[in-house]
Formats: sequence, C-alpha cells, structure tokens
Amino acid sequence: MKKILLSLLVAACCLPAFASISQKKANKDTNQFRYEIECAGNAIQGTYLVKVWSYSKKAAVAENQCRKNAVHGVIFKGYGGGQGCVSQRPLANTPGVEAQYEDYFKSFFADGGEFQKYASIMEGTTETVKVGKEYKVGVVVSVRKDDLRKALEAAGIIRGLISGF
Amino acid sequence: MKKSIFTIAFALVAMVASAQIKKPELMVIPSDIWCITNGYYTEIENLGTTTKVPNYKQALQENMGLKLAIAKINDLMAERQFPLQSLEQTIKNLEQRRMEDNLTTSKSGNELAESPLDEVARTAKCDIILELSWEVKDLGPKHSISYILEGRDAYTGKSIGASSGTGAPSFTADIDVLLEEAIVANMDNFNNRLQDHFTEMQTIGREISLDIKVFANNATGVDLETEFDGEELIDIINNWLQVNTVQGRFAMPYASENVANFTQVRIPVYDERGRAIDANGFAKQLAKVLKKEPYNIPTKVLVKGLGRAVIILGEK
Repeated sequence: MKKILLSLLVAACCLPAFASISQKKANKDTNQFRYEIECAGNAIQGTYLVKVWSYSKKAAVAENQCRKNAVHGVIFKGYGGGQGCVSQRPLANTPGVEAQYEDYFKSFFADGGEFQKYASIMEGTTETVKVGKEYKVGVVVSVRKDDLRKALEAAGIIRGLISGF
Repeated sequence: MKKSIFTIAFALVAMVASAQIKKPELMVIPSDIWCITNGYYTEIENLGTTTKVPNYKQALQENMGLKLAIAKINDLMAERQFPLQSLEQTIKNLEQRRMEDNLTTSKSGNELAESPLDEVARTAKCDIILELSWEVKDLGPKHSISYILEGRDAYTGKSIGASSGTGAPSFTADIDVLLEEAIVANMDNFNNRLQDHFTEMQTIGREISLDIKVFANNATGVDLETEFDGEELIDIINNWLQVNTVQGRFAMPYASENVANFTQVRIPVYDERGRAIDANGFAKQLAKVLKKEPYNIPTKVLVKGLGRAVIILGEK
C-alpha cells in the first residue's frame, strides 16, 4: 500500500515536470519556426484561412504548434496564391522587423501568449505525413488577420493605412 | 494676457485638429471597359469621330452588382479608417454644378476641357480613383469571376497599383456572392499598394503637371524670353518652382519662347494652413507672383483636372 502511495506521489510530482519538458520540446522542435504555409481557400471577411505544415519528431507536438506557426506565417511570411486563392503579403513586410521587436514577439509567441487570440484550428483538417525520422503535420487554421493587424499597428510595429495623415 | 494665451492655445488646437483630419479622399468608379461592355455609355461626336463616354449615373441606377461592390469596398476601406466618397452623391453635385455653369460663361468664352472622370474627380475633390471592373466567366455549370481593382492618382491619372485575379469556379448561381468574395480576397493586396503610394506622397509630395503658354500678339508683348533685371522669365519661373516644389523636384521636357511644359512637378500635399493643394491652387500661387511687381504680367489659369493646370501669360 505504502509503495503504491509512494509511486502515486512521485508520479504526481513528476507530471508537471514532464508536461513542461514536453512543451519545451515542442518549442525546441518549432523554435526555428520551421513550417510551410499555404492558402486553404477563401475565408470570411477579416480572416485568412491557411494550411500550415509543421515538423516534429512527434506528430502531436507538430499539431500543437500549428496555431503559433500560422500566426507567425501571416505576420512574417505571407503566402502564395493559385487555384482561386489570392496570394497575400506578410503583415509586417519591413525586413528585420522581427529582430527589431524581439522582446515583443518573444512575449507574443510565448506559451499561452497573445498569439492564441488570433488563430483557431479548423476541426477535422489534420493531415499527418511521415517524412524520414519526423512527422509533417498539416492543419487548416483560421487567422483573424484584421484584429492581428490592428494589434500590430497599436504596438507601433507596422504602419496603418492612415499613418502620417 | 489670459485672452491672448487662450487665443494662441485655441489656434494651436485647431491647427493640430486640422492637420489630423486631412487625408486623401478615395472614390470607387466602374472602369470605362466595364461601363462600355455593359452598355452604360453615351456616344459623343468629337471632331468627326464618335467617342464612347461612360455613363456612371445610368450604371448606378441599373446595376445592383455595382452598388453592392461599391458598398463592400466602402465597408472594407472604412474598416481601415478610409471611408470612400460616394459616386452617387458626387454625380448629384456635378449635375448641380453643370446647371450653374450653364447659367454663366467665362470671360474668354472658353469651355473647360475635362473628361467625365476629371469632372467627377474634381467635383468630389478626391485624390485617388479606384477603378473597378469584373467579368463573369461560365465554365459549364460553374461560374467564376475575373476581378480588377486599379487605383489611379486623380491628379496625374497614373496607376498607383492594382489587384486582380480570377476566383475559383463555383456552382453557385449568385454572382453577387462571387463578387463579394473576390473583393474581400483582393482588398488587402490593394491596400498594400495604396500604402506604398501614401508613403511616397508623404515623402516627395504630390505629382502634377504645369504648362505655361503665351497669348500670341498679346498687348504687353511679354513672352518667356522677356528679361526682368537681366533674367529671362523662364528662368524666373524655374527658380520659383525650385523653391516651391518638394525637394525642388520637377522636370522641364520642353521650353520655347511661347510654351514651357513642366512635368513630374512634386507639390506639397497641403499648404501652410493645412488645406489640400491641387494643380489649380499651385498654378494660382505662381500666377499671383507673376501678376505682382516687378513683372506685372496679366495671367489666366485654366483648370485641366486636379493634376494639370495651364497658365496663359499676356492677357486675362
């Protein structure tokens, strides 16, 4: 009985540590923002519908990071068009803006950071492909680009259309 | 003392407020090709040739898709804090102005040579015209829309960017839905180009062109080679432009004793009182200088849209 209680206690103590390690691993896997972003169709007004392919040795890790990567992609990468889709420039299209506002984006993309407010995963859209020793996971994400743009304008990171007038 | 402080403070607040509210005015119009393809045009005889001129009023009255497209673009631009000028209201104002013009004649009897687009732009005082066209394409049971939104500087007529594309074929029969989708999908790209244009305008001013002409056999005998204090009039005008254009930017591709053409003239967007300046206003500033001592040259300024003006020297 004592042994069982002791095991449970140890397990309970280690669980948050494991979760933390798992999240750190997820961040490590995706820290380089290694992903591909493509148009996933016409979205409703104020949003972009994108498909993000993230890479990790664990499929679940890659899937978790897709939201973060989608927001990152809309801000810094933009995406190509074709087949009825319209290509879009990144919201922040000034070179070096990510490094210039490093502190802001560190906090923005932190776990539980502000990025979460601007992206939602479309259920049932996950695709997983094994590529060598890792997984490539694709998820369709809806990014609230109008709200995201307003937040970046308010933070002084990008210029609004009305800037200077 | 208190009163003066209050007056100064009030003036400063008013100046700041007026500086903040000034921003370019935009208006959506259907493109010439769209109007003509859809039958919204009037034929005009001009020097023996028939010209098709777009009839915006008829298009607005008869085409629901156009009204919907303009409303959607207005909605999206308002979201970016750039509400559009209403084409419909501008046409009403234009008709009112035409009625008034018919009751008056200019001193010389000259008519203003302006296209319908120039007239609309000048009446609306808009800076940028957004020309819209779309075409429905049928692929069997499916429909798709080819869409173009092109921005033109109302002052020069130059293109400042466009967004265009063909939407994915769809089984929906509702063309308005496809049009709305096309507008929503393309608007961000268009606004990116618009922003590039605004940045350029804020940096190097607004572009206009200016022509100086001389009335043949005018009573004063002045031409562009007439000397004042040993300096030819054309050089005096050049010097004035050098000082009064943004960063001294202008080009003079042609000049003779009777004509001088100035192009790519970059004028300040607003004058010192915060009022928007167009080619007419800028030309009047120069004309005012030429009318005064020591030149005393009678001048006449002709308006040719927002971005082009002609100053005629020698007679009023």
